[in-house]
Amino acid sequence: MAPNKRQLAMVMDLNKCIGCQTCTIACKRLWTRDEGMEYMWWNSVNTQPGRGTPRDWEQMGGGFRDGHARPGRMPTRRDFGEAWEFNHEEVFFGGKGAKAHLKVQGEEPDWGPNWDEDQGAGEYPNAYYFYLPRICNHCTHPACLEACPRKAIVKRQEDGIVLVDEDRCRGYRFCMEACPYKKIYFNQAAKVAQKCIFCFPRIEQGVANACARQCPGRVRFLGYRDDHEAPIWKLVDQWKVALPLHPDYETEPNVFYVPPLAPPRYDEKGELDESQPRIPNEYLISLFGPVVLDALEVLKAEMAKTRGGGKSELMDLLIAYRWKEMFGGFDRDPATIEWTKA
Amino acid sequence: MSAGAGVTRRGFLRTAALGAVGLGAGVYFWRLRSATGAAPPSVSAGTVPVYGDWRDVYRERWAWDKVVRSSHWVNCWYQAHCAWNVYVKDGMVWREEQAADYPQVRPDVPDFNPRGCQKGACFSERMYDPARVRHPLKRVGSRGSGKWKRISWDQALDEIADSMIETIVEEGTDRIIYDLGPGISLGAQTAGQARLRTLLDSTSLDMNTEIGDGHRGAAETFGKIVFERSADDYFFSDLILCWGANPAYTQIPNAHFLTEARYKGAEFVCISPDYSASAMHADHFIAVKPGTDAALGLGVAHVLVEEDLVDRDFVREQTDLPMLVREDTLRFLRGSDLSAAGDEDELHVHDAARGILPAPRRSLALGGLALDLEGRFEVVLHDGKRAWVRPVFSLLREHLAGYSPEKASAVCGTPARQIRDLARRLARAKSASMVTTSNFAKYYHGNLIERAQALVFALTGNFGKKGSGFVGFPFLMHDGLEDFVLSMFGTPTRMLIETAGLLDEARLKLAGFTDEMIVYERSRRGFESGQEVSGALFWYVHGGLLEASDALQAWDPYLERPVREVLEESLAKGWQHVWPKPGNDPRVMISLVSNPLRRIRSYPLLLKNLWPKLRTIVTIDWRMTSSALQSDYVLPAAAWYERTEHKWVTPLMPFIHAGEKATSFQEAKSDWEIFARLARAVDARAALKGIEDFTDRSGRARSFKGLYAQFSSDGEFGPDDEEKVARTLIENASNLEGVEWEDLKKRGWARFTSVGKSLASIGNATKIAPDDTITPFTDHVFDKEPYPTLSRRIQFYLDQALYVEMGETLPAHKDPPTAGGNYPLQLTGGHTRWSIHSAWRDDKLMLQQQRGEPVMWVNPDDAASRGIHDGARVRVFNDLDSFEIMTKLAPGTRPGQVIVYHAWDNFQFPGGKGFQNLIPSPLNPVELAGGQFHLRPMGICLQPSHTDRDTRVEMELT
Repeated sequence: MAPNKRQLAMVMDLNKCIGCQTCTIACKRLWTRDEGMEYMWWNSVNTQPGRGTPRDWEQMGGGFRDGHARPGRMPTRRDFGEAWEFNHEEVFFGGKGAKAHLKVQGEEPDWGPNWDEDQGAGEYPNAYYFYLPRICNHCTHPACLEACPRKAIVKRQEDGIVLVDEDRCRGYRFCMEACPYKKIYFNQAAKVAQKCIFCFPRIEQGVANACARQCPGRVRFLGYRDDHEAPIWKLVDQWKVALPLHPDYETEPNVFYVPPLAPPRYDEKGELDESQPRIPNEYLISLFGPVVLDALEVLKAEMAKTRGGGKSELMDLLIAYRWKEMFGGFDRDPATIEWTKA
Repeated sequence: MSAGAGVTRRGFLRTAALGAVGLGAGVYFWRLRSATGAAPPSVSAGTVPVYGDWRDVYRERWAWDKVVRSSHWVNCWYQAHCAWNVYVKDGMVWREEQAADYPQVRPDVPDFNPRGCQKGACFSERMYDPARVRHPLKRVGSRGSGKWKRISWDQALDEIADSMIETIVEEGTDRIIYDLGPGISLGAQTAGQARLRTLLDSTSLDMNTEIGDGHRGAAETFGKIVFERSADDYFFSDLILCWGANPAYTQIPNAHFLTEARYKGAEFVCISPDYSASAMHADHFIAVKPGTDAALGLGVAHVLVEEDLVDRDFVREQTDLPMLVREDTLRFLRGSDLSAAGDEDELHVHDAARGILPAPRRSLALGGLALDLEGRFEVVLHDGKRAWVRPVFSLLREHLAGYSPEKASAVCGTPARQIRDLARRLARAKSASMVTTSNFAKYYHGNLIERAQALVFALTGNFGKKGSGFVGFPFLMHDGLEDFVLSMFGTPTRMLIETAGLLDEARLKLAGFTDEMIVYERSRRGFESGQEVSGALFWYVHGGLLEASDALQAWDPYLERPVREVLEESLAKGWQHVWPKPGNDPRVMISLVSNPLRRIRSYPLLLKNLWPKLRTIVTIDWRMTSSALQSDYVLPAAAWYERTEHKWVTPLMPFIHAGEKATSFQEAKSDWEIFARLARAVDARAALKGIEDFTDRSGRARSFKGLYAQFSSDGEFGPDDEEKVARTLIENASNLEGVEWEDLKKRGWARFTSVGKSLASIGNATKIAPDDTITPFTDHVFDKEPYPTLSRRIQFYLDQALYVEMGETLPAHKDPPTAGGNYPLQLTGGHTRWSIHSAWRDDKLMLQQQRGEPVMWVNPDDAASRGIHDGARVRVFNDLDSFEIMTKLAPGTRPGQVIVYHAWDNFQFPGGKGFQNLIPSPLNPVELAGGQFHLRPMGICLQPSHTDRDTRVEMELT
């Protein structure tokens, strides 16, 4: 398959993410509300360290190792968490008084897409956690695409968006095994694999993805990977502060993360202990590779400049004084589009 | 089923493809309305997609019929508000997305876009979910049985009107109670209730201190609680204290200003018991024991004073620290001490050259006086006796000796080194600011905590400068509502009211009152006459809530007499007021988008004590709530996208927000329409019964006759005139200069042009420029306008009798009471990221992102020692009762503390036993104070409050 001409990419600044899940809900309300899609969260945000969505996805394999496909396991509905139904009618209008209370119907759940929210790790007062928003990585080397015997997964020439062709898909789900990020879902009603489409209908109209445009934390930058005038290239290639998640999976993601800082920890006497960071380096390395330490050093050095009253181009970039400039030109207001019925 | 559905969906795909070539229905394609957007980068004219494959399903899914500007007219307070575009398809709201078209205020601060949150982003789902009230309901079983009958609007309003008329005539107007909740827009929604309750002289409860937002410490110190900056003003701070706040949960649309200010160079320091979602983004996390922040603050103050880091010019001019206090009485030296005819409110200072002289009152400017902060001076009193007096600062220095960092550390658990560091950081900062929080108002001794916080900001001169300041209660509203209510009276009456008002204003101005003092004075008279009523006291007295804390003297080691005795004293002396008067039972209660049984601590006592007194309970809401379930009538209100409306905000986001009705829903009606129809029903039913006259609470005769004509301004504002009402309010406003309603409703926002003259905004005491950030208190700090306190300054010394009795003349630490009994765990709370009050608590999507049911956060060590695992269900109990809940183990939760975040509805707990049943909300006696210039009750503050954070519990596996 010929390499795509251009590649759209996203950078998510974890030091601005507050875990509010507006991205998650924006995506849910736009794309995954039909029958068979209720349990899907193409965009998810999880508390790290944590078991994530689907549960323990980092232990499920997939992707590549040393250039060879690595076996992967298919996540189950239980791993993702079912779409719960509730008994509102019974509680409000059922005439049972206090005998009925609102609860998940059917089997009692033990997992959901955000089950371990704000739990994290460590010991008080040195607990630590941060938020990790995830969408499909629209990889340069997509394992899902290679795994599909139907050739139903395509990487678009014009922008590198990876899509499941739902007309070709026969629901074999090899892609779900192969994707190491476990961001592909199976629609039991339509019998096809479905996943984040990078909001291609919006992108086609010059409108940023719902998750990016609706993010109140202004976490997400969008644009072409090779646009030297836009924030993506500057953050990923010039400043090298934005890193792919699990580069060890060898799929070359096109979603990049500015890694998380954290306040210093305390020793047993309660004094500041700067001999080791609050979030252990090993943990961050396990997510982003050893270069994460370099990225954090760059961030700290640039923050030190502004602390001293100086200027930093990197800090200005991450601040994003003008919101629209985060989107690499995909800044059209969707409300300016008028649709007509044929 | 699933296979069949798959086939159907593919069938639809084909239909869509056919549609594109001319056959059909439901297919969309696009054209651009305007050329203002950039050209689509990836689509050229030649590659416009043809309907041919699966991708068109997604393209079609994104399309819509029309876009309407709206927002969520709910009290999300710090986060209010966000301009949303509501996308309507096939007559239903299909989804919403932030409009995100706010201007950048100045080039060196970020713009406000795109403001919004996950809750707003799914209201289109919420408004059609099974919690929605679809038509008027009348209870047919016992209260709370959940047995309902569908009735017509006419029947519902006639029956409610009959009950109101009967109550007014037989027992008095004050027996009709309005309980207003988080749906209060102060726009068209509130205008109808305001007119009807004024005409019928009903009791409308001021809920602010009851909900725990009274900021008593701020009120005691500043004489007001409303003051806040704009969120972009943080860009001028070099130190931001997130002290007791959790903006990652409670300020979702504003939070980027904090993370970005940090990138700009500000240090962000989080002080809280738990390592919160906000602490993760801090430069320093300072851990403190819950409820001991006053000790921490006073430890900081100790260091500031001992290390001579005090901004003496600031405290001399802006605070009461130079004012003289008598050593013998612990009271300020007053004019009445020095002369028999002297002014009780005249306080004194000592100038090196001129000796003791009255403190300047009409301006903060000292005019060259060199006021002593230290020293001990002898005065001759008017009766010839002598007394020693000292400046407050000198007393404070002595008082702070008890709060060395080491001593403070022993109380608050924060290491002494960190207390010293924090003090030095504050002293070093060019501009230190604080993230707003209403957390401490929910502690029994929260006033002491807020006073200590204010003290460290004052000692370091951190007020008025851009990017600086302790902040109180954020609020910013249009000031057109009062005129709208008054305008229903005929010209002669109105002229009388207005003339009396002008004369009164002139008289108060002569007496040295500033505009804000005049506004507060009027509100205080309302409390005296019963036109304004403390919700907190209402529930304590008429709901019998004090029963829950009958054991208070065992819980509070400082309390030497029963609080009921203090309450009686306070009511007898006219320090505080309650309506109806004790013994006069309330009869009709109308909850307007309000959920008191969810909200009120120890709510089971309301069911026991208040409910039997009420002959009619009405809930007006768009959804079912714990309170709706216990009502006699539930009336379906229009949801937010179904109204034409505007709503108050805060200086954090200083743009009024407005929007238009996008759709309608079954039998739901706007609040304005409901009240217009209710007014008409009262008028008609009274006429039918031949009842013309009634007597109001002050004994004046009034008439039902012509009630509706008056309510509607002779038909000008009828049931269908919601938009006209909304527009009139904007036209009446003084602080939206040049704003045209037609533009406002289309655009969705307009920047305020000043803080205006309303009680809930004037306290910001600052200017609003179109091209600058907003910093509160510039009127005080730069224009030298006096503060509305007894001393006319930021006041740290309080000499009202109860403060002297309770040893709280200066900010002090007091150990929290063991509310609920001597149990090892402290049950606290905080606002959740997942709901605004209870409005999204039972929303399916929000629950799916949690655990589907209420949870309590527990430290893993506390759980392990009790054999409790993550996700276990536990019984939580204290002397009051028990409830059941799932645990969530989080190492960020402080050992000894358990947290249940805000606003789970009672119906979400087994047996309907909501967690507030363990919260006794003891009444702190100093909150019953009054009688002094700025300690008298007024709107939204200085009334007793309800609290919850001191509750003690134990837990065990179920």
